[in-house]
Amino acid sequence: MSKQPDMIEALNFADSFTLAMDDEIRRDGLAGSYGCFALELESIPDVIELQQRVAEFASRFPTSTAHLQQKGRRFYWVKRAQAPQLFFHHIAEEGHDSKAFQQQTIQQIINEKQERDQVTPIEFHLINQPNQSIFLMRWIHPFCDAGGANLILQYLYSDDDNQRKKLGKPAVKALVSTQLAKYSWWKKISLFFKAKRYIDTLDHLKSIQPFVKDQAPSTSVPNLHYTVKRLTTEQTTQVVKQARKHVGLTGTSLYYIGCLMRALDKLHPETQGDAYCTPYAFNLRKQRALTPVTGNHISALFAQVPRKIIQNREKLFTHLKQQNMDVIRQQLDYAFLPLMWAGSWLSLEEYGKILRLSHGKDGERSSFWFSDIGKLEIPNDHFIGANIKAVFHICQVSTPPALAFLSCIYKNQLTLSYNFIQPMISKNDIDKLHTLVLAELLSE
Amino acid sequence: MKEQLRNFIFQELIFVAEPDQFSNTDDLLEAGLDSMGLMRLIMFIEDEYGITLPDTEIEPENVQTFDALEQWILKYKQG
Repeated sequence: MSKQPDMIEALNFADSFTLAMDDEIRRDGLAGSYGCFALELESIPDVIELQQRVAEFASRFPTSTAHLQQKGRRFYWVKRAQAPQLFFHHIAEEGHDSKAFQQQTIQQIINEKQERDQVTPIEFHLINQPNQSIFLMRWIHPFCDAGGANLILQYLYSDDDNQRKKLGKPAVKALVSTQLAKYSWWKKISLFFKAKRYIDTLDHLKSIQPFVKDQAPSTSVPNLHYTVKRLTTEQTTQVVKQARKHVGLTGTSLYYIGCLMRALDKLHPETQGDAYCTPYAFNLRKQRALTPVTGNHISALFAQVPRKIIQNREKLFTHLKQQNMDVIRQQLDYAFLPLMWAGSWLSLEEYGKILRLSHGKDGERSSFWFSDIGKLEIPNDHFIGANIKAVFHICQVSTPPALAFLSCIYKNQLTLSYNFIQPMISKNDIDKLHTLVLAELLSE
Repeated sequence: MKEQLRNFIFQELIFVAEPDQFSNTDDLLEAGLDSMGLMRLIMFIEDEYGITLPDTEIEPENVQTFDALEQWILKYKQG
């Protein structure tokens, strides 16, 4: 198809993967595949300067104000007649409970429903409280993933005008497209089947859905909720030490995954199923070489642990480590590229079924969604005139599994963000789960 | 088996004006069997005959003609 003047960019095949996720989430009655970064600030930043930087960002990256449009089988970012509002300033009324105001505002932002072809790719929200604030960035996959969002954040907090100008859109094609172009026609087909067989093997084991209960469907509207739990620096040091002991220097993410699986199994030992399974981004390779190729944190690769292994910590971590090494050795992240490419020619529903779900077989393959953005470093821990106190992130998730577990370390404190769908999961469930997770993380 | 393969390929994957004139040694790739078509063909074969074809053997020699396809399938169907 020839490029029309209003078309800014075609979605690449990895973007189509995230769009299939968005479709799935919307089918569950939720807002769509939103991701959020939140900075907890010790004061209120320079609002004028922040607005200017957002406007500067929008003018340099036209996709940020575009909208999605389907033409034929493909999706494109297309210019709008009128640019949408990207910056929003929320101020608590006097006498309002500031903590409640903050939580309520974020809840509204992450559950705001917009039609897919009208959704704003990215929004910036400043939520004021007396003497402090939260800066929250909400994007829709496929506009960017957590890695891309981190770059946007870097753009915004950079006080140096020249530095900001350097942070431009890369002139090269997307990594996924570059990598796929290296393969011959025949190689692509053989990789396609390699990935397909990997998925088929995973689906031999029925995934455990810890929060699927045998009960009549609820009449209440499903909504995303979140709870943030922050460990102390001492606890974080202990967790990092244990992670290194059990899974090595590069396997911290696997340590979190293993601990969560054990905690879920203790919380709901009666749940049916053969194995816990979770998708993870391919940022576990040593020195993060060539990663993340598949980009998104809800990736096509899975950590899968049979239930009988879960009960033995030592065996569990050995299994996770071995599985990860096999994935690297077999280059399964690359094998997924032709599969994703082929899937991008299907309808979103079919694509989701083939790549992400075991729908039509045993339902959802993932027992939970997972994202670890590792250790965050922000120069001077400063954001446009305000000191940063803490960081957390949020993402929407389909039901099932109704749970996304997100982690990051900032200022030597491990932050765990539990994202869950009510009414399937309650705040009380999450509090109980966290107690078990914490015990697992700190355990020798 | 060939008849089944012919029906699937000509109905689902490539268009030829006169399928009856297309021999079992004519080149399917030249006739328009592309990468997407080949993926669908292999999935069809695996489902239909209950076999797994090794990824390393997905090569032109095994899929270029109906004769070659049949040989390839039989190697695993009988084994």
